[in-house]
Amino acid sequence: MTSNSGEEIVSLFSGSDPSLSVYVHIPFCAGKCPYCSFFSVVPRRGEKEEYCSLLRTEMRFFGERLADEGKFVRTLYFGGGTPSLLSPDEWERLFDCFYHTFSFSERPEITIEANPESLTEGHLSVWKKHGVSRISIGVQSLSDDELLWLGRIHDADAARRALEQSVLSGFSVSADLMFGLGEQTLRSFKRSVTGVLDLGADHISLYQLALEEKCRWFAIPPEDRSDGYPFYRWSQWYLPGKGFFQYEISSFSRPEKECRHNFAYWTNGQVLALGPGAWGYAGGIRYCNERTLPGYFRAVRHSGNAVAEMEKMEEERRVREAAVLLLRTSKGIVFEDFASRYGHGNLLAVVGILEEGVPPACLSWSSVSVALSPAGMRVANAIWSLLVV
Amino acid sequence: MKQKRIRNFCIIAHIDHGKSTIADRLLEETGTIDSRDMKQQVLDSLDLERERGITIKLVPVRMRYKSADGEEYVLNLIDTPGHVDFGYEVSRSLAACEGALLVVDATQGVEAQTLANAYMAVEQGLEILPVINKIDLPSSRPDYVIKEIEDVVGLDCDDVILASAKEGKGITEILERIVSGIPAPEGDPEAPLQAMIFDSEYDNYKGVICYVRVVNGTLRPGRNIRFMATGGVFPLEEVGILNPDFQPCEQLSAGEVGYVVSNIKTVAEAHVGDTITEDARPAAVPLPGYRKAKPVVFCGFYPVERDDYPQLRDALDKLTLNDSSISFEPETSVALGFGFRCGFLGLLHMDISKERLRREFGVELVATSPNVIYELTTKDGALVEAHRPSDFPELGEIDEVREPVIKLSLFVPSEYVGKVMKLCQDKRGTYLSMDYLAPDRVRLIYELPLAEFIIDFHDKLKSQTRGYASLDYEFTGLKAADLVRVDVLINGEAADAFSFICHREAAYHRGQSVVRKLKELIPSQLFEVPLQASIGKKVIVRQNVKPLRKDVLAKCYGGDITRKRKLLEKQKEGKKRMKQIGRVSIPQEAFLAFLKVEEDDE
Repeated sequence: MTSNSGEEIVSLFSGSDPSLSVYVHIPFCAGKCPYCSFFSVVPRRGEKEEYCSLLRTEMRFFGERLADEGKFVRTLYFGGGTPSLLSPDEWERLFDCFYHTFSFSERPEITIEANPESLTEGHLSVWKKHGVSRISIGVQSLSDDELLWLGRIHDADAARRALEQSVLSGFSVSADLMFGLGEQTLRSFKRSVTGVLDLGADHISLYQLALEEKCRWFAIPPEDRSDGYPFYRWSQWYLPGKGFFQYEISSFSRPEKECRHNFAYWTNGQVLALGPGAWGYAGGIRYCNERTLPGYFRAVRHSGNAVAEMEKMEEERRVREAAVLLLRTSKGIVFEDFASRYGHGNLLAVVGILEEGVPPACLSWSSVSVALSPAGMRVANAIWSLLVV
Repeated sequence: MKQKRIRNFCIIAHIDHGKSTIADRLLEETGTIDSRDMKQQVLDSLDLERERGITIKLVPVRMRYKSADGEEYVLNLIDTPGHVDFGYEVSRSLAACEGALLVVDATQGVEAQTLANAYMAVEQGLEILPVINKIDLPSSRPDYVIKEIEDVVGLDCDDVILASAKEGKGITEILERIVSGIPAPEGDPEAPLQAMIFDSEYDNYKGVICYVRVVNGTLRPGRNIRFMATGGVFPLEEVGILNPDFQPCEQLSAGEVGYVVSNIKTVAEAHVGDTITEDARPAAVPLPGYRKAKPVVFCGFYPVERDDYPQLRDALDKLTLNDSSISFEPETSVALGFGFRCGFLGLLHMDISKERLRREFGVELVATSPNVIYELTTKDGALVEAHRPSDFPELGEIDEVREPVIKLSLFVPSEYVGKVMKLCQDKRGTYLSMDYLAPDRVRLIYELPLAEFIIDFHDKLKSQTRGYASLDYEFTGLKAADLVRVDVLINGEAADAFSFICHREAAYHRGQSVVRKLKELIPSQLFEVPLQASIGKKVIVRQNVKPLRKDVLAKCYGGDITRKRKLLEKQKEGKKRMKQIGRVSIPQEAFLAFLKVEEDDE
């Protein structure tokens, strides 16, 4: 891509919606987990510093231009990798830069992902100072055996401490938990779930161990993975009783504690992508930054941004994808919104497919919307595959 | 060559009893072939046959033999195919001879097919010379076998020859006995020409080569010959003998055996059993016994790689140049794509053809399980030939269904009689007779539906008798049976590809096994999918494919969206490759499994 790509992306944001979400990818991990297919590397000496400095360059490139257009940030999300691997000082500088270059809405949601082994008091106080509202902790399990099986580099106690400190520091805290692990039982899974609830998490992301192409276990998967069904089924029954509602396929939260940033993905909201391998979305186009660290360094040095690929989809594919994303959420497809954004014909087509091909028990219809019922969420892939083209 | 110095004979033997080895020794002994040039079993022309140790066809060969009486004789050895599938060809080969060597293994005794062929030879008036082979083996028991030949075949064994082809024992005796025991051919060399084709093959250079026995008259190149059954007229280009290579000669006259080349392009124009006559001076009637070989066992051949369809067609074209008894026509299958439905004389014929396509033409193919043709009369009197279940009219319109049946002779060690009888009963056999050939050997005769025989009878017989049983069969015609078409309904919709024909009493069991198999192979869908087997409107079996209850569920963040969509699209693509019946997606494996369905054990 040429140096104009960044400008082109900026121009895509110039629509009527003044708000945007920003995703920042921190591509470093202390070690690579065998099941993870996200882009991250173990940082070499000086690499983090160089990255942070170039990230600030990239922030300035977009922040100044978008602020000029009158755009403001409603949600900001630092994902990884392991964002807590950056030192509190680096965070200080990043936030300084952020607040200088971007405009923010009144109470922006700012989320940072953190891993138990690297999260410190220092991080928490810097983040508190800079208005971070949510911390999403990669707990995965509160069983030492399961953490070992997963190849995590922390134990359950470290995870508990991280949760506890984050809650005590006044953050809204989310915990990632996995199911379908080796030797995992419903009993051990329940201990993990109740453990994070007892420690005060107000949001849980539950997901099944799934081995995708770029991870180490893809070629040689462990043989003793457990069937995910009972865990998920149980969570759908247990968590609502504890005041946690399933507002999306893999997200449960207390009322008002949903992650607003993720809604931007599911509703095709505008997302600005910063950092290598990060994905953004604007003006109907999804785009991706340079996927390697050297590529990212080179691009930002050269042109101030690292936009590398844009995905332009024909209408039908784009609309169907939008329907699939909406059906991740418990709110589902709101007929009026969908029709006004994608056209009445497209709404009818989607509704027709659902009526025709999906058992009634899997859907929850109201006069104004359709969403997946809990049973539908359990077989969501099969339902979605009816919708894609 | 003077007629009275000619001897035309064949060798009747069970597989492995040593036919080819004896033939080799005869060639050596008569100097027809130098022992230096001798490959083992020279006469087997197909690699395949040599490899399997079974002989399908040998080329006819002429030997010169100076007998003890000082005269030189011409001995024509004409082969008989060693397998029951080729019963008609055997009968034509026998018709070309005046005598036969009946070769029996000194250890194993008389087997079912040997007996059938020996009887056929007796029926056709051939002189039969019993030979007991492999007497060199320590386990040989010639006295026992002699008694068996006398008791079972009913041949006088006073002059039996004890031989060991392997060690060259008894070969001279055999030659002498051929000269003294087998009558010279009769026939008038001056009469109008009648020459019987007992075999033919396609040669890339010469075109079709017919192997003939001249019964009356004389074959001379340069004249036009007429094939009496097909009516084709061709210039006679070359006649000759085999010793064992092609050797042209000036003429072949009554009593002689040789080959004829006359610019014929396909063997379909030169049927085995047809009579060649002279176009200018035709015989009044053809020789008796001609009939057109009719395929009785059918199966589908499909290329393994779909793109290889044209190669398969070419290969079949070429194969039928050489073997006109194979029929084939294009067919499509949901699971296998484009292929051919092929007809064969029997199971071995089918196996051999498949193997030849693979070896000689390099075509890799999938064969579906074999089936037969049914004949039906409808209530309004129409006659229907049903090749596949979809050819069956609705249940209410059928008056009668007839299926091909065979008369099956089984030679079984007495300890296995119970098991074999049970097997025959299970296969809807009708008991005809049982007699003791020896205290420990029994001959069972059953009438059996061909459809049951071709599924897995051989394999079951072999496994239940540890290979000690032998069998022979002949077609006895069509017989009415209570056969029904069982339909399979998937989610209430009939799925043609899974219909099958079976006896009403087996319908439940077979329906059960098909439905069970489908239940295993059809993946869970969003809806519960009922699977049913029915006869007409009556459902006899029902099972359900339970609905899907979970998928792999994962988080979805910004970067995943495109990847996840592509995964879903791929999933959908996979589903498109499946066959949709109603809203149910059925994977190819289900069709494949059905095409090769074997009866499950209960």
